[in-house]
Amino acid sequence: MKMLEVRDLVKDFGGLRAVDNLTLALDEGEILGLIGPNGAGKSTAFNCIAGVYPPTTGEISFKGEKINNERPWNLCKRGLARTFQIVKPFPSKTVLYNVVVGSFATTEKKPEAERKALDILHYLHLEDKKDVLARNLTIADRKRLEIARALATEPKLLLLDEVMAGLRPTEVDEMVRIIKDLRDKGVTLFIIEHIMRAIMAVSDRVVVIHFGQKIAEGTPQTVAADERVIKAYLGEEYGVS
Amino acid sequence: MKQQRLEVLSLLPVVVIAFGLPLVLHSPTYLHIIILLYFYAYLTTSWNLVGGFAGVLPLGHAAFVGIGAYSSTVLSLQYGISPWLGMIVGGVLATLVGVIIGLPTFKMRGAYFALATIAFAEGLRVMVENIDYLGPFNLNGPRGLEISPLNVGLANFMFTTKEPYYYIVLVMLVGVLALTYLISRSKLGYYLQAGGEEPEAAMSLGVNVARCKLIAMAMSSFLTALAGTFYAQFTLYIHPKSVISLDLSFEIAFIALIGGRGSIAGPILGALLLRPVSDLSRIYFGATLPGLHLIIFGIVLILVMIYQPRGLQEPLTRAYNKLLERLAARPAVGV
Repeated sequence: MKMLEVRDLVKDFGGLRAVDNLTLALDEGEILGLIGPNGAGKSTAFNCIAGVYPPTTGEISFKGEKINNERPWNLCKRGLARTFQIVKPFPSKTVLYNVVVGSFATTEKKPEAERKALDILHYLHLEDKKDVLARNLTIADRKRLEIARALATEPKLLLLDEVMAGLRPTEVDEMVRIIKDLRDKGVTLFIIEHIMRAIMAVSDRVVVIHFGQKIAEGTPQTVAADERVIKAYLGEEYGVS
Repeated sequence: MKQQRLEVLSLLPVVVIAFGLPLVLHSPTYLHIIILLYFYAYLTTSWNLVGGFAGVLPLGHAAFVGIGAYSSTVLSLQYGISPWLGMIVGGVLATLVGVIIGLPTFKMRGAYFALATIAFAEGLRVMVENIDYLGPFNLNGPRGLEISPLNVGLANFMFTTKEPYYYIVLVMLVGVLALTYLISRSKLGYYLQAGGEEPEAAMSLGVNVARCKLIAMAMSSFLTALAGTFYAQFTLYIHPKSVISLDLSFEIAFIALIGGRGSIAGPILGALLLRPVSDLSRIYFGATLPGLHLIIFGIVLILVMIYQPRGLQEPLTRAYNKLLERLAARPAVGV
C-alpha cells in the first residue's frame, strides 16, 4: 500500500491553474523530493494534500483512504503532519509551549505531552532553548521548531516545505542528517526544497514540476540529467558529479 | 519547588484580606464599591476565556449579562422561581445564544468579529427597550423590572446588608479564577492560545480552532450570565441601559486590555485600577463631567498599548517572579 497517492490533482484559483494534473505516489519509508521554479505550484500541492485547500478535481489518498475533503486537524490526527514555508510559530509562547501544542495531538494529559515534547527538543538539540520565546529564535531554530512541533504529533508522513532555506551550510548538513534519521525511525518524508545539494543528497526519488505540471520524475541523477529540467529549473551550468 | 511554595504562601495574605475585609470595613458605601470591583473582575475574567485566550475581541458581552439578569428576574417575578434556579436558566440560555453568535462570527477576523458582537448586543438592547412582552414574559420595555425586597433570605438571593453579597461575589470570583487557572494548564487552554496566535499552524497540529473557540464562548457566556443574575439581585432593579449597555461591554474590554488579556492576573489588576477611577469620577464629577471615566480609560489604554502592549500584568508579574526567585535563593531562616 502506498503511503500517499495523488491522482490527476488540479487546483484552480479563479482563472489560474496552480496545479495541473499532478500524479505522484510515495511508498512507506521513502523520501520524495519535490522541486521546481518559484511559482511552479509546489506549496499549493502541499496545501491540497494537507487539507488547507480542497482540490478542484483529482484524488488524494493517504494510507489507502481518500482524504480529498478532510480537514487539517483530522489529517494531523491520522498521521499527516506538515511544516510551513513561512514559519508560523506561536510567537509569544516558549519553545516548549509550541511543541506541547503538537504533542497534545496524541494525549490528553499535560505531563505526558510535556515529557514527549522534551524528548523531541532533546532529539533536535533545542533543549537548552526550551524556555526561550519563539519570537526571539534565530531563523535556523525557528525552522527546527517547525519540525519539532510537527514531529510531536507523531506523524507517519511528514511534509517539509523548504525547511533548509536561509540556513548556513553546516546547518543544512545537520538538517540532512536529521531527515535521514527520521526516515530510519519509520517516517515517510515528502520534501520541497530549493537547495539542490541537499535535495539530491537526501531524496530517493525526485519529482520536478513546472507551471503546475510534472515534467520529470526519477532518481536524483536521472532528473538532474534531464534536459527539460535543466532548461526549466536547474540552468545550463548545473552539472552532477 | 521552593519557589512554588513561596508563591502559594504569598497568595495567603491576599485570600485572608479578601475574606476578612467585611469584619473590619463596615461602611456600606465602601463595601458597595468593592462588591462592584469584584463583580467587574469576575465579568472580565469570564470574558477573558474567549477575549483573552482565544485571541478574539468580543465587545458585546453585556448581552449575556442582560440575558442572565432578565431570565432570573422574570422567572422570580412572574413565576416565583428562586433566582438561584433562574441563574442557571439564564446561564444555559446565554450559552445557547453565545454558541449561535459564535458559529457564524468566529470565521470573521479582528475588527469584523468585534463589530458583529457589538451589533448583536445593541440589537438585543433596542429590542428589549421596545417591547413590553416577549411571548408570555413581561420585560416591561425601557422602564425595566423592579424586584421588591419582600422575601429576604439566602433562598431568595436577597439580603438587607451588603456582607452576603460581598461573600457571594467573592466566591464567584475565586471560582472563575480557579477555573481559568485550570483551563490555562489544560489541553483546551493550549489549543485556545495556539489557535488565537496562529490559527493555520494550530490547525496543522491537530487543533480544531473553531470548535475550541465555541467551547470557550459557551463557557464565557454561561459565566457572564451568572453575573447578570447577581447584579439584578444586588441592585434589585434592572433596565436595558443598565445591563445590556455598550458602556458595560466596553468597560469589560477596557479592564481586560489594560490589565492584560489572556493572563489570570490581568482582569484583577485592571479592575483594581479602573474601578476606583470609575467610581471616584462618578462621585465627584458625575454632575459636571459625566462620562469622564471613559475618557480617562481611553487615555490610560493608549498609554498602556504604547508602553506595555501585553497589559500591566506583564511588568508586575516579572517583578513578582524576580522577587520570589530572590527569596527562594536565600537560605531560609524561618519562612
